[in-house]
Amino acid sequence: MSSYRRSKPPGGFKAYVDFVEFEERPIDVPEEIEYGKAEPQLLPGEIVIAEANNVLKFAPLKTNKTGISGTLFITNFKVSFVTSLPVDSKNLRMINFSFKFTPAGEDLRVAQALLHHAFPPSIDHLFLSCGYPPPPPGIPDFCMAQDWERELQRTRCPNWRVSKHNEFFNLCSSLPTVVVVPRDLLDAQLEQAAQHFQGTRPPVWCWGSLAGAALVRMAQISPSITDKMSVTKSMGTLKRRKLEEVSQQQENRMMGLVHRCHPKKLQPTILDLDQILPSLKDIQISYIKLRELHTPDDPSQFWEQDRHYYSRWESSRWLSHVSKCLDVAQSAATAILHHNSSVILQESEGRDLSAIISSLVQLLLDPQARTMRGFHCLIQKEWVSLGHPFSARLGHTRNDVEEQCPLWLLFLDCVYQVSVQHPSSLEFTSEYLVALWHAAHCSLHSSFMFNSVNARHTASAVLQRENPHQPIYLRPVWSWWAESYNPPGKKQNGPSEDNLKRSSSREAFLNVHYIQNLMESLSASGAFRRISDPLSSAYHTWHRIESLLGGAGSLPFDSTATVVPLQLDASLRVDVTWSSLKPWQDCFCAWVSEPATLTLNELESTLKRSSPTSQHWKHLYQMYNTLKNHLSEGLTNGVIA
Amino acid sequence: MFSGGGIEKKGKIKGISQLGSISSSSSTGGTTSSSSSSHSNKSGSSSSCSNNSGSSSSGSTPPGTPPHVQMASHESLNSESKSSSLNSKLGHESAGSPSAGSPSPPKSACSSSSTSTDQQHHHQLSHVLNATSKMTVRDGTRTLRPDEPSLVPGEHLEGTAREVTYLCPYTGPKKGTLSVTSYRLYFRSPDTDPPFELEVPLGVVSRIEKVGGANTSRGENSYGIEIFCKDIRNLRFAHKQENHSRRMVTEKLLQHAFPASHKLPFFAFEYCEQYPENGWSVYEPIAELKRQGLPNESWRITRINEEYELCETYPAVWAVPAAASEHDLRNVAVFRSRGRIPVLSWIHPESQATITRCAQPLVGVSGKRSRDDECYIQHIMDANAQSHKIFIMDARPSVNAVANKAKGGGYESEDAYQNAEVQFLDIHNIHVMRESLRKLQEVCYPHIDNAHWLSNLEATHWLDHIRCVLSGALRIADKVESHKTSVVVHCSDGWDRTAQLTALAMLMLDGYYRTITGIAVLIEKEWLSFGHKFAQRIGHGDDRHQDADRSPVFLQFVDCVWQIMKQFPHAFQFTEDLLITVLDHLYSCLFGTFLYNSERERMEKEVKTKTVSLWSLILSNPSDFENPLYNPATRHHVLFPLTSIRHLCLWDKYYCRWNPSMRQQEPVHIRFKELLHVKGQLEKRVDELRKELAARQTHDSPRVASAIV
Repeated sequence: MSSYRRSKPPGGFKAYVDFVEFEERPIDVPEEIEYGKAEPQLLPGEIVIAEANNVLKFAPLKTNKTGISGTLFITNFKVSFVTSLPVDSKNLRMINFSFKFTPAGEDLRVAQALLHHAFPPSIDHLFLSCGYPPPPPGIPDFCMAQDWERELQRTRCPNWRVSKHNEFFNLCSSLPTVVVVPRDLLDAQLEQAAQHFQGTRPPVWCWGSLAGAALVRMAQISPSITDKMSVTKSMGTLKRRKLEEVSQQQENRMMGLVHRCHPKKLQPTILDLDQILPSLKDIQISYIKLRELHTPDDPSQFWEQDRHYYSRWESSRWLSHVSKCLDVAQSAATAILHHNSSVILQESEGRDLSAIISSLVQLLLDPQARTMRGFHCLIQKEWVSLGHPFSARLGHTRNDVEEQCPLWLLFLDCVYQVSVQHPSSLEFTSEYLVALWHAAHCSLHSSFMFNSVNARHTASAVLQRENPHQPIYLRPVWSWWAESYNPPGKKQNGPSEDNLKRSSSREAFLNVHYIQNLMESLSASGAFRRISDPLSSAYHTWHRIESLLGGAGSLPFDSTATVVPLQLDASLRVDVTWSSLKPWQDCFCAWVSEPATLTLNELESTLKRSSPTSQHWKHLYQMYNTLKNHLSEGLTNGVIA
Repeated sequence: MFSGGGIEKKGKIKGISQLGSISSSSSTGGTTSSSSSSHSNKSGSSSSCSNNSGSSSSGSTPPGTPPHVQMASHESLNSESKSSSLNSKLGHESAGSPSAGSPSPPKSACSSSSTSTDQQHHHQLSHVLNATSKMTVRDGTRTLRPDEPSLVPGEHLEGTAREVTYLCPYTGPKKGTLSVTSYRLYFRSPDTDPPFELEVPLGVVSRIEKVGGANTSRGENSYGIEIFCKDIRNLRFAHKQENHSRRMVTEKLLQHAFPASHKLPFFAFEYCEQYPENGWSVYEPIAELKRQGLPNESWRITRINEEYELCETYPAVWAVPAAASEHDLRNVAVFRSRGRIPVLSWIHPESQATITRCAQPLVGVSGKRSRDDECYIQHIMDANAQSHKIFIMDARPSVNAVANKAKGGGYESEDAYQNAEVQFLDIHNIHVMRESLRKLQEVCYPHIDNAHWLSNLEATHWLDHIRCVLSGALRIADKVESHKTSVVVHCSDGWDRTAQLTALAMLMLDGYYRTITGIAVLIEKEWLSFGHKFAQRIGHGDDRHQDADRSPVFLQFVDCVWQIMKQFPHAFQFTEDLLITVLDHLYSCLFGTFLYNSERERMEKEVKTKTVSLWSLILSNPSDFENPLYNPATRHHVLFPLTSIRHLCLWDKYYCRWNPSMRQQEPVHIRFKELLHVKGQLEKRVDELRKELAARQTHDSPRVASAIV
């Protein structure tokens, strides 16, 4: 990241065009490149597939079509152009290459290779970074019974149990091996019920409160039940109707079970997300409009778009989708909090919109979900483990254009709106959310690459078969924190980021206002006195601050920490009117730089723009040290017992 | 707090009242009417608790602080009970109350507010409110009743009308008492808990209209007055016809809102608050030029305009090229519109490239030339050894510049001015800007059409204009910083767009102007001393609300500052609260700062001796405006903001501040103050402990320190 410098044009390149800005090097250079060799640095397991010499990379949005000449490499992971830039137009970025000066033949090969590897026919062909050491423990992946048990224990939601009936994905291939179901439901009944739901997904518990209100995700009953029952022969309409009745009965039975789980036997609230939320198609259409708005071809188009920027945002209707999601999440949260009513989120397969709503409800109600670790857990649980089809929705593979829909981005945008309205209640920053969006397009980490846990297991097995001598670990995205280099999402984050040093991701991703809040709660009088008492909240708060600011490089989470029971005393409320939602420019404008109106080097201006970011942190560290001094001196003095 | 309807609604009402629920406290406490006191007793809700405790603590605010705290602008306590309680804690501690450090007891504070009336503020318990429709007009030398505002020094109560209804566009009609003083309009309704209060400095009023005739009006609330304000809100009050209170209110309002039209002095001349700092001394022209390194070998300081003879709209002291004689200056003045010749605004400390400002040359249709003017521009260029070129930035669209030739004006031809390049910056004139703001107001107040919010916003073109001004200033800053080339800036008269451009370019180039003192100097220098016609553009005390000379030029500048601030949150010593305070007092006429059109007029009216400066208020309370995230190292940075519309946004905290739904749930500025405050407190305690430790060590042998980690 800190590799920007005013370097001399390296000898290996020939300039074919009179460059105005030949010195320009993209700021987001991930690794130092040795110029002499003009070879990209490869990750373990990465192979160069095609290369083309003397390609021009056009600087974005320059009228005079100037660019940098270099060699373009296509590997199975990335497009590398002198600097290893993961090319990805899926996350709102466009890079133009010109093959004008390229030896004939090479261009064709490059284009083919790009096509083949950017959109692999199946998930197995996607480059997956392997050969790394195993990921550090810390984040539960919600694939094991103990993780769900802990979650039940933490929320203290009564009358639910962990079922291991899906151990070999025989019950449902898109669910993890363990699911939480009503305590009174036998595994056999579970199996029977599953058949009647789309994608054979029975209703599963994902969160709940001490008072007994549970948050349940449930699929719609299956319309094409006939195929699955394998009683295909000569099925009369009568029989079909009967089967539908059976399905209906199963659904009612499941709802009845959810109802009975509630200690006060309150009627659950059923939210039919297919009815009340926009369709995936609408969301995708909105997204495409926004993508067009943020990928101008040339400066004139940029300024043309700019003139109508806000009305185009409006006509994309993206914010209305955000508003609806937040609204539904809010009403679900209200039902749980104020009416102590269980909420069943019903959706076709229960893997898409319900993931958004379910996560948002928890974000609004559960203070833990607003911490870094809690948010990781939330995503791991609701999105990864419960099988959001990332690969299909984000188009990681070639074949399923129809199914694409950036629900992940929609969710992150909703979280962003919460962070805007409650600047100090989330432990992470909007930069972090941007990084998570980019991470979903970068196959370095495996979390957001697969359609389900099952698919991930399969891919990992395939890789293991190909490399029998080396243990294969697919790293979850959460291992960023502990890794010594900057997280990939951060690298891609380009010009909007500072050239920070190693501790940078921590500074960019942790919300200062949140930590400030912690400190304030400590400095409130009286709290100091209880700080050495492990049972007091002051003790936990202090340790939290310690782990955030103190030891360098350590994870901000402690896997051995005792389960802190859920408290519902700090719920958030969001204003969902359109005028209070803000376009998320940090994310959408990440790749479009303004066409240079200045003579000044564009990069220099951006550097100047972002230079003093760590001021926040200086204050924070000052406060931390003051606090620490205060404490140790207080102890010496006997002021604090 | 995930509160249901009830509490939140109260909070919102509180929010709207806006006028520093803080200052209102004393009157809250003094409510003796049985109905309202039972109200406050009943409420055990946390929001009312914290509000009351917050307000009771600030009753002891020293007299030096009130006006800005009371200003309607100041986003007061928020509806969220959490933040308001934080705020109250803060107010508590900073006010130095004995219980500092411990959270204020919530319940007792609650109940005490209805009984503790011993604060020195103007009311007597013996006054029992009987809700008669009696209207009282008295002089200001008596104790106030609880439903009357607490006055600033020099303010008089002019009249009070009871049983008036304020038709709040957000929370519905409120019945209460309307008072008019020589400075403000004050409305208080005890019906809600906490009492609803509304306060508008009369300087903000642009138009007063009677609604409903004596005989014609039917239905409830149809008879009354509507007040249109310069700060983007309209207020409607309904009077009871049989009370005959409307006439008195209207008369008093007209008289005090438009003193200039009634040949009365501005309230600023009556306001006699004492501030520890004297804001009039913040800007000394010679000292500021000295700070920039002047005079030097190529620039000199002249007092040729000491008597404002050469140019009546310019300041007394100028910095001009050393090569130009006084005689030359006189000759150049003939060729420049209104004698506004190119005078130095800013000089680059290293390259000596300069920004100079002036009015358009009097070229006319015949294409007149002036040898002296050409030489003078050459002198400006020569004063900068780094470049053999000079840019003349004409702020207007080129069509307008050409059109001005017909009126005797025009622009420099590149043939006549050797080595000069003329660029047009396409900023529209004051009429276009006024229209744009009018549309913006329609979009923002009172209700926002949610479904079309963004496209409506776009249709106002407000952000377009902001973008033009910003990118023009950016271009100037770029020429000076990166090309080391001097720039001459002008528009038609050189007091509207020119002031915007030079001031913004200076703000980008010179970190000094991004400090609290610096922004005061910048505004005093580029806007006030160089004769931006504040009186005309704002229409201070003038009832001709349709005057075509009015235009939000200065507001636009402040908006641009805010946009830069948003992109560089660490580069400014002040927060947006300072900008909002400046804008509020731009209209309020409480301070003399923005009165009149030029330095000369202000000298004649003895503004400096007879009124208080706005900077007195700001410099005396710096902690209210200080940005805790300011990084002083950025003093040496040049800021180049992004100016495409996608990087600009509406300053909703200013334009939409009356709309409770647009208010941020958790105001950051309170956090800012807390941050400063907590840091200070911690440091203090560590100091104390250290002293204590040292004291002990002299007696005992030191113990081993053990950290808790």
